[in-house]
Amino acid sequence: METCRKVEKVPLFLGEGVRADAVRLRFTIMATLNLKNIVKTYPGATEPTVHDFNLDIADKEFIVLVGPSGCGKSTTLRMIAGLEEITGGELYIGDTLMNNVEPKDRDIAMVFQSYALYPHMTVYENMAFALKLRHMSKEDIDKRVRWAADILDITSYLERKPRALSGGQRQRVAIGRAIVREPKVFLMDEPLSNLDAKLRNAMRAEIIKLRQRVDTTFIYVTHDQTEAMTLGDRIVIMKDGWVMQIGTPQEVFEHPANMFVAGFIGMPQMNFFKAELIHDAAGYHVECNCGRMTLSERLQKALAEKGYESRSVVLGCRPEHMIMKKDADNTTMKATVDVSEMMGSEIHLHLTCCEQDVVVRIPTTELEESQRGGLTFGTEINICFPEDLVHLFDPETEENLL
Amino acid sequence: MKSGVERKSAYHVIALILLVIMAILFIFPLYWIVTGAFKSAAEINAAQPTWFPKEFVLTNFEKLFSRRAAPLFQFGPLVGPVVPGAIRWLVNTVFMSVAAMLLTCLTASMAGYALAKKRFIGRGLVFSLIVCAMALPKQVILLPLIREISALGLYDSLWAVILPTVGWPFGVFLMKQFSESIPGEMLEAARIDGASELRTFTQIVMPMVKPGIGALAIFTFINTWNDYFMQLIMLSSSEELTISLGIATLQAENATDFGLIMAGATLAALPIIIVFLIFQKYFTQGITMGAVKG
Repeated sequence: METCRKVEKVPLFLGEGVRADAVRLRFTIMATLNLKNIVKTYPGATEPTVHDFNLDIADKEFIVLVGPSGCGKSTTLRMIAGLEEITGGELYIGDTLMNNVEPKDRDIAMVFQSYALYPHMTVYENMAFALKLRHMSKEDIDKRVRWAADILDITSYLERKPRALSGGQRQRVAIGRAIVREPKVFLMDEPLSNLDAKLRNAMRAEIIKLRQRVDTTFIYVTHDQTEAMTLGDRIVIMKDGWVMQIGTPQEVFEHPANMFVAGFIGMPQMNFFKAELIHDAAGYHVECNCGRMTLSERLQKALAEKGYESRSVVLGCRPEHMIMKKDADNTTMKATVDVSEMMGSEIHLHLTCCEQDVVVRIPTTELEESQRGGLTFGTEINICFPEDLVHLFDPETEENLL
Repeated sequence: MKSGVERKSAYHVIALILLVIMAILFIFPLYWIVTGAFKSAAEINAAQPTWFPKEFVLTNFEKLFSRRAAPLFQFGPLVGPVVPGAIRWLVNTVFMSVAAMLLTCLTASMAGYALAKKRFIGRGLVFSLIVCAMALPKQVILLPLIREISALGLYDSLWAVILPTVGWPFGVFLMKQFSESIPGEMLEAARIDGASELRTFTQIVMPMVKPGIGALAIFTFINTWNDYFMQLIMLSSSEELTISLGIATLQAENATDFGLIMAGATLAALPIIIVFLIFQKYFTQGITMGAVKG
């Protein structure tokens, strides 16, 4: 275990209204986490809730666990926190095996979805509670609480009770209660899902700023892919207790490991078409019910390297990558507009094409003046696939072929 | 035709009149006792009853306090100064009610919290048994209870009245309902903060179920104070009598001295009225919350 000493300048409050920059020393211990073959089975359940979870988290990394409800992401976080027993596998924080260590001895702090502030204590007391239990001196507690309150801009509410605060302020207090402890690992369980959309966006930005200031390892659970994409250094996408893919936001967006990840990440969802991959003398191309497309050189090469022959595939293409063309040619497909959603800078077109629903995102700048407000129901348009920005999946295993 | 506002205020007037009638019905006996305590024997027994004492006399209270001297308290070798019997009865009753109240609140809030928030084998069974016990009338368990108390050597002591009330099933039930409302995440936050079970209970759970404890405290205090039946069965020697038993002995000895009895009854009612006035808020809260939740 490596101990690194860090000196940082943090503004401190010295008495009423007197503010001075004081040098604060922090001794931080490297907080790597290793989850090895973690399994969780609840008593009486036939199937595990979390299957064989493996993840190595680097020091100061921001990991986001994301997935639909019931995918096991919160259970995994709660196992790391020590609130749920680990049925199988090993959890290391630093070099210490933590499976049977009490939550308070794991040097973690957690922010809950419901904030879980103690209603009978003031904001100050809420934040000081954990420090008091560690027998810190009153002066040190005061310093730490005011430092955290200053970071989160809640100094003026310190004497209030949680019920006198708005949702966003409570959220800050909940985060403050976690950061005063200067934990090795910061766990957050859907911390923004109780806030309205506008506040959620603001708090998301705050969390990014906070991360730069407290500089520790974060594990964040959410079902919101925007939060996952914007906050995470790496994202873990889960479904039914299985890890579907682990990667940077760019990786999971550009190279989804399977159809689930492809569909889950990205708004609106990726379009899927049943198709045939044809391998002939001219190379690879794809044919579906109502059209045929050639593939880019990069894709041709990748397919050839893996030695694929002609076979059935699922062709995936993101709505923003679909192309709308004015004139029909041999690459375009006919589509009819069902719904046209004006989103401001772009239009979402829900179309019927190849007897299935297809969604296309088109920036309004690419549309003619008359079409910028949206297209009317039943309008016929021509769309085609981009040569390079498509994904090919195995229809049986749903895995990405490339 | 009357407007909605007029009709509404008419309802209010009728409701107010009904409430005033009810209040008079309930308050009148109390008024009669308190004023009666200050009337002379002649005025009480007069053929024409008076609404208000013609002259305030203290003879009834003098009589009450001149009877049967006893030590103020007796704890093993510790014996208090000698005081009139009525004062001793009052001290006994206060001690009994307060002890029963404190012990019941402590055990019921712990048991209610455990039943609401802890997962353990047999939890459902234990709770069902408690609910069943709520349905049992006291008379049914009386004989086994007397035998148990005798075997413990507690018969004819105040503990014989206190201990059977401590496991009050309704109290456990009430506190379980209150504890249910504590979010699980709050307890988990305390656990992560490093609070022990005891600290979580005393510093997080207790303050959150305070209205429940308040209601339970006043229920047990009043119930124990007024539980003439158990006191009559369990206590017999004159030193260990409670105020309600004491008043009854006055009646037996002086069958017609209503003034004396009313003075005793006034003395018995006074503390309970004071307690009620202090905890009124919790009392009404407890009744309404219990009604909504239970």
